[in-house]
Amino acid sequence: MSLLRRLRAIPVSYRVPLLVALLMVAISAVISERVLDRLSRTQESFLDGLAGSYLDGLTAAVLPAVLRGDVWEVFDALDRSQQSYRALSPIEAVVTGADGKVLAATDPTRIPSFSDLPQAYASRYGSTTVTFDRNSDTGFAYRDLVHQGQKIGAIHTAFDAAHIFAERREILATLLVTNGILAAIFSLGGFLLVRRMIEPMRVLEDHMRAAAKGVAEPISPREFPARGGEVASLFNGYNALVQAERERANFAMQLAEEEKLASLGRLASGMAHEINNPLGGLFNAIDTLKTHGKTPGVRDTSISLIERGLNGIREVVEAALATYRPERSARPLSADDLEDVKVLMKPELRRRRQKLDWQVDWPAELPETIPGGPVRQAVLNLLLNASAATPEGGAIGLSVERTANRLEISVSDEGTGMPRYAIAMLSDDDPGPAVRAGRGLGLWMVRRMVDACGGTATVKPGPSRGSTVTLFLPIGKNAKDERSHAA
Amino acid sequence: MTERHSAESQLVTRRTAIALAGSAVASLALAPDQASAQDGFKFGLTPVFLSNDLELLAVLRAYLTEAIGEPVELVSRRTYQEITALLVAGQLHAAWICGYPYVQFRSDLDLVATPSWHGKPLYQSYLIAAADRPAAQWEELKGDIHAFSDPDSNSGFLVTRALLAENGLKPEGFFARSFYTYGHRNVIRAVAAGLAQSGSVDGYVWDVMREMEPDLVNQTRIVRRSEWLGFPPVASSKALAGDPRLARLKDALTAMDRHEQGRKVLALLRLDGFLATEPGLFDAIAAKVDAVRRFG
Repeated sequence: MSLLRRLRAIPVSYRVPLLVALLMVAISAVISERVLDRLSRTQESFLDGLAGSYLDGLTAAVLPAVLRGDVWEVFDALDRSQQSYRALSPIEAVVTGADGKVLAATDPTRIPSFSDLPQAYASRYGSTTVTFDRNSDTGFAYRDLVHQGQKIGAIHTAFDAAHIFAERREILATLLVTNGILAAIFSLGGFLLVRRMIEPMRVLEDHMRAAAKGVAEPISPREFPARGGEVASLFNGYNALVQAERERANFAMQLAEEEKLASLGRLASGMAHEINNPLGGLFNAIDTLKTHGKTPGVRDTSISLIERGLNGIREVVEAALATYRPERSARPLSADDLEDVKVLMKPELRRRRQKLDWQVDWPAELPETIPGGPVRQAVLNLLLNASAATPEGGAIGLSVERTANRLEISVSDEGTGMPRYAIAMLSDDDPGPAVRAGRGLGLWMVRRMVDACGGTATVKPGPSRGSTVTLFLPIGKNAKDERSHAA
Repeated sequence: MTERHSAESQLVTRRTAIALAGSAVASLALAPDQASAQDGFKFGLTPVFLSNDLELLAVLRAYLTEAIGEPVELVSRRTYQEITALLVAGQLHAAWICGYPYVQFRSDLDLVATPSWHGKPLYQSYLIAAADRPAAQWEELKGDIHAFSDPDSNSGFLVTRALLAENGLKPEGFFARSFYTYGHRNVIRAVAAGLAQSGSVDGYVWDVMREMEPDLVNQTRIVRRSEWLGFPPVASSKALAGDPRLARLKDALTAMDRHEQGRKVLALLRLDGFLATEPGLFDAIAAKVDAVRRFG
């Protein structure tokens, strides 16, 4: 199983040529087997024929002598026949008479004349002319001596089949080497050919993998096949896809920028109001100074009033600057960011006579892994949305809490509940359809921030009414890596 | 039948497949009736000497043809008996036979000449056994499978038979089994191969073969040598006593050592020459025949 899994893990550009190579090896193995099988059958029939003519010759030579029981002539015939059938390499021949006793053997010292034939001789023959014993590389053949329809004796022969098995081994080795070399050549050729054929797929695969990691690059014209065809149209399709994706991303960024500007506009009007409020007091104080400036009590009071009014204006301006100055986005999230959000929200809250339930228990040691700018923008967007959803005179809430490995930021409102697309955009695995609907760009920016941090977002109905949006942002080194990667 | 063909036929009967022997013998059996008349001198050979040597046969025939002055046909048969029968019947002019048939048919045969070996017209019979067998006495061969040369051979049968008879024994009682190989060389082969544990063989053949085929003969050793006996002689049928060619044959044989072609024959046979001998040379063999007959 694990082999199969490991095989699957090999890239297609190697796996297919590898399979082609394996196929070649299998084909060569089958061919070798067929050839050997054929060879062994040819050899056996050849040997059968040879043994048959050997037995015919022996029979003709010994039959008269066996009839007479002439030990010497039987021996003489056997002895000479051993020399004349070299192709068969006879090892031994034994002739028995009608009584089953040995008349003569080629090696009388082992099987003496007039003795009984050893038991083993009777049991060593099979159904074919020649029976092989692979263990001893020996072939056995047997023939009854029949004269005028009567059995007058028998010939038992054994011959050396080592050369036959040696020939088989030799041919096997030759086949293996030849087929091995051929299979290697074909495999290599197949490997290169298939690799060349699926090279465009590999290019596409590489680009897809890169795209999956966030770097979608179009396929360069250099990598296009010279002759066009299917591959070229496939590449073109891919490039069109990349192009569309880029345009969409650009468009989204543009929209986000516009959204930022839109919220800025809302904030700017609030800020103008915020700046305008103290301005009346400031002008009054300046009039007072002009008229009664020489009176020390009045002067001090007026200057103090002017100072406080200017401080309020500075706070608002600083908060606005912090939000919209890009170089400040890169620093990690801090308590100041939330304070700025509070300041920025103040005019809108005042305008709608709403209350902000501020429950920020800023953790003492927050690792510098959460980016300040995007989170600030996201919290601001959520609060602005909450304020818009909550009726005038209502209350919205922000709570920040740190658990062991994440920061939880919750924004609650008293509205009538968030629309389905907004919930989908924040909490679905794939916010694409909601984004493509072209609504809720502020939420989409929140979602982008959450994804970039490697976190998640949930939307739940509030305790009595309204909704609570909670962002879970992981704290830790991994999160930092991922974020810096995504940035 | 051409000369070449007859030489081949002799070869065939001696050397090749036994299966062919029957037909070859049948074809040769027709020969005597025609040939013994006038056209050719018929000289019979028994397996007593080294008749399986083609070169020897060619040289011997050439020598005899020249000496006798007409074509000589060398006739071989598988057994002594066949040659002896042809000779006694007058179908062969002369034959090189064994001392035992000579003694048996002494009344029908004339002695032409006897080969001389190591200076004497004598030889021995050997009882042989495998070289690695420690037997020192012939009595130790009891229970063997024994190879005899030929039932009509002196050295290859009669001597051993007589030895047993003198000791009150018979071959079938003393030996477990015995068989005939119809050739002294075959006896040596049978003992060397282990087909027989012991054999009765011509001492001259054994000694000469030890020079020519030491690998074969050295697989055997001599257990017992017999006394010296008359060497297998060349004899002729008394029925043809007046034939002048027989006198020329006798001269040719006894003069062989003085003739270049003859010396070549003798060298191949490892013999000194041929001597004119008296029938008394074979009395010792006759005594053995008597001993066997007496014992029953």
